[in-house]
Amino acid sequence: MNENTSITATVVHLLTPAERQHWKLAWLSTVDHKRIGILYMLTGLVFFVIAGIEALLIRLQLMVPNNTLLGPDTYNWMFTMHGTTMIFLVAMPVLFGIMNYILPLQIGARDMAFPRLNALGVWLVPFGGILLHFSFLAGGPPAVGWFAYTPLSETPYSSQLGVDYWAISLLVLGIGSVSAGINFIVTVLTQRAPGMTLRRLPLFSWMTFMNAFLVILVLPILNAALVMLLIDRLLNGRFFLPFGGGSAILWQHIFWAFGHPEVYIVAIPAFAILSEVIPVFSRKPIFGHEFVAASTVIIVFLSLLVWAHHMFTVGLGRAVDLFFVAASVLIAVPTGVKLFNWSATMVGGRVRFTTPMLFCVAALLQFLIGGLTGVSHAVAPLDWQTKNSYYLVAHFHNIFVGLIVFAILGGIYYWFPKMSGRMMSERIGKWVFWLMTIGFNLTFMIQHVLGLAGMPRRTFTYPDLPGWTWMNMVSTIGAFFMAAASILFVWDLVASLFRGKPAGDNPWNAWTLEWATTSPPPHENFNALPPIHSRRPLWDYANPDRPDPVVPVGGAIDTFRPDKIKAGVITFIISEAGFFGVLILAYLFYNATSQSGPGAQQLDVLKTTIFSVCLFASSFTIWRSEVGLRANNLGKMKAWLIATIVLGGIFIVGQGLEYWSLFQSGVTVGLDLFATTFFTLTGFHGLHVSFGLLALLVVLGVASVSNLKNGRFPALGAVGYYWHFVDVVWVFVFSIVYLWPLIR
Amino acid sequence: MTTQQFLTSEWTWNTAGLVFSGVVLTAYLWAFNINRRILYLLAALALFALTLMSPLNALAAGYLFSAHMLQHILLLLIVPALVLMSLPRWVSLGSRSWLIANPFVGWIAGVSAMWLWHARPLCNAAVSSQLVNALQISSLLLLGTIFWRQILAPREEERMSPPGAVLYLFSACVACSILGILITFSPVSVCPIYAQPAADRLGILNLIQSNWGIIPEKDQQIGGLLMWVPMCFVYLSAIVAQLARWFAHPLASAPVMDKPL
Repeated sequence: MNENTSITATVVHLLTPAERQHWKLAWLSTVDHKRIGILYMLTGLVFFVIAGIEALLIRLQLMVPNNTLLGPDTYNWMFTMHGTTMIFLVAMPVLFGIMNYILPLQIGARDMAFPRLNALGVWLVPFGGILLHFSFLAGGPPAVGWFAYTPLSETPYSSQLGVDYWAISLLVLGIGSVSAGINFIVTVLTQRAPGMTLRRLPLFSWMTFMNAFLVILVLPILNAALVMLLIDRLLNGRFFLPFGGGSAILWQHIFWAFGHPEVYIVAIPAFAILSEVIPVFSRKPIFGHEFVAASTVIIVFLSLLVWAHHMFTVGLGRAVDLFFVAASVLIAVPTGVKLFNWSATMVGGRVRFTTPMLFCVAALLQFLIGGLTGVSHAVAPLDWQTKNSYYLVAHFHNIFVGLIVFAILGGIYYWFPKMSGRMMSERIGKWVFWLMTIGFNLTFMIQHVLGLAGMPRRTFTYPDLPGWTWMNMVSTIGAFFMAAASILFVWDLVASLFRGKPAGDNPWNAWTLEWATTSPPPHENFNALPPIHSRRPLWDYANPDRPDPVVPVGGAIDTFRPDKIKAGVITFIISEAGFFGVLILAYLFYNATSQSGPGAQQLDVLKTTIFSVCLFASSFTIWRSEVGLRANNLGKMKAWLIATIVLGGIFIVGQGLEYWSLFQSGVTVGLDLFATTFFTLTGFHGLHVSFGLLALLVVLGVASVSNLKNGRFPALGAVGYYWHFVDVVWVFVFSIVYLWPLIR
Repeated sequence: MTTQQFLTSEWTWNTAGLVFSGVVLTAYLWAFNINRRILYLLAALALFALTLMSPLNALAAGYLFSAHMLQHILLLLIVPALVLMSLPRWVSLGSRSWLIANPFVGWIAGVSAMWLWHARPLCNAAVSSQLVNALQISSLLLLGTIFWRQILAPREEERMSPPGAVLYLFSACVACSILGILITFSPVSVCPIYAQPAADRLGILNLIQSNWGIIPEKDQQIGGLLMWVPMCFVYLSAIVAQLARWFAHPLASAPVMDKPL
């Protein structure tokens, strides 16, 4: 086969004949989960190159003592951008891309539940990434570290626009991630093939499902923190500024309430890849499927409970430290269960050390080291000694690179044949593997020692102390090994795309459904599905005489398949509840003691009560509207819908009047803590009511022009749920802001 | 007073509690005879008696908010769970009343027992008034039973499905954690009666504050943390049990034929 025909053949794979006429649009306007998955990964790759160059610059600066390659400010920009980019623009998009590509295939679905929402999610990534990097042109990027501790990130200390771009960009990315999380959950709940019960989900799909819950629970916490920071910076709010009465520690709490689970948001997909690859190349089903699946649930649960271990050095007091030491150490149990299960899968198996398997076994070992140093950080006194030293840097790079990047590379080598129809090169793959492994360990293992010797992180240079120079030199050399591995990897990707051996449907003899279709799969994914009785349908299909034990269908929950739109709205509401939860907690925290100056006592409770009654009544009217729809009485439905819109409108006008009179008497966002928290909480609620009104107007418009038959109009039910939620939030806000001051 | 003296001397006699325990034990024996599950009941009653008669109760009666919180958790989450587990598996707790059978009601019962009793007036009254205290104890036992019934009803078909139960427990944990977080970091006293013990009845204030180092602010912090972290471990244990039930239950029985596609 000469080169030209092979390139043509590849292009044929990538585009259908009709699409070749408008090939740019075919990818830019795609709503196909497979293409969206690849767009996610390509975006991640671009940012990986950028953040990788930043990492190399950091290592070059640290190669020798008293270096002047980067000044202190530039160094601060580099580590901030490196961390932020690697987490939000590399790890998350690439993993979301793999999950996006594989999940629907693995559960035998045609596509994700909401393909257009999926497209929104993927395009928000470059949008957020460009916003973040635009700060280079707008006075300099953020220089505050990836967690942007206040008050450093507040205007008095970071007056450039960098932090604003950082916060807005993360807000955009956070919204995209929540949309992806909702999509994963609803896809698993509603798009599974017949026979694919929840208990028959392969581990990759199960963990994607569990991970999505973590995404929708904690990304809103970050979003709430970001809007609070932005209100501080742009509207002179007082949330995190100590001299305005605010609490800088509160930022740390909220950030780490997100930040710790975030580690698991990128680690669980890595676990998922390991759980898929290791059994296939050990030629055995995973050891203790149920334990791996259940321990994932427990990890999700515990990860939400331990954030304060990031704050041992803040001085929370011995009582707080003690509880969080205990809780943090406990996480070692479910993660240990996973390590044992993967190891036990290999024991007695016919292990084939292909490139994907090599990466996954290495990930397992690196994760063991990173996990152990993690447990050492969970012990407060040790943490006091090693926090913010290179020991910590070594620890989390063992997780982020040793586990996650290695698992990603393993996953790409494993699924590339499915995505492209061609194999990647085993020979180059082994080179990539060894360069990466050697480079990684040269770079980071020695940093444990450097950290214990006292070298602090985030400092642009260091004096020529005994031992420090050669150890830093080793670390920098290792980083260039990793860079070489990355270049080789990209080369392998491109070369294999055009010249790789044809893969066939199932090159690895794997057992899950993504291998039951052509490589790459057709637009509709499957022509026909094999019967599904267990977690390894292709094994059962190939070995009818000795199939896996049937995983039985027991009870309604196994075949649970809720309405798609309602499931989507409910998942969205759960994530919104997290967002409002943080705003409400911040309000309570700052208003627990009465402030001097204007406070809740000055509010006109009577007027607001009247407007609130209108809002509460609108929950009743929208319910009547749904009753009208069910009775097939469209006139009634529309009339009650209009009543809902009018009542909601009255509420919004009422809130506007209240704001106006407050502004008139000089109460603005920046006045004091009460004003900051009050306007943030009620303002975001008002914003949600406004969006709800828009949605109601759209529903009314659709209902007017379309011909609704049999009382089926799921959009009304979905907006109804959202509207009730907004009302329930107001019950809390109204009680806390307006009624509570009257009784205490 | 030293710690040792305190731990040995401050045991109180609670007639009402003992009579109640005796009645429960007699009723159990009368209804179900002796069976292996009575061990759960004995554990529940022992824990109940310890909660109300040990030095823990002396501390909770006006000295330490955290001791009160421990009592609260034991009475709401541990004792009712053990009682439900002691029932023979054929006992039906089914009810046609939607009020008892509804998971939503169970959830509200479990969570409101936490939130309501930590409203400042109620929290204070439960310390200062014997009557309110008795009311608190009985309501915790009752509400805890309603909460756990969804998870631990003796008959399989009367419990929630395992994934539903996981959501039920998880959301209950979140709801209680939020209160725990508020109490831990609240700049004001949640239960002011503990912040200024009215009279040092037992003469142990010095022991608590100097020897143990538990000043009122720290006391409230420990109380909040108890509600936030260890209480979630109780829910977590139940979640683990639910996952075990989900993944193990039908697999243990003979393979069921699948529905045709």
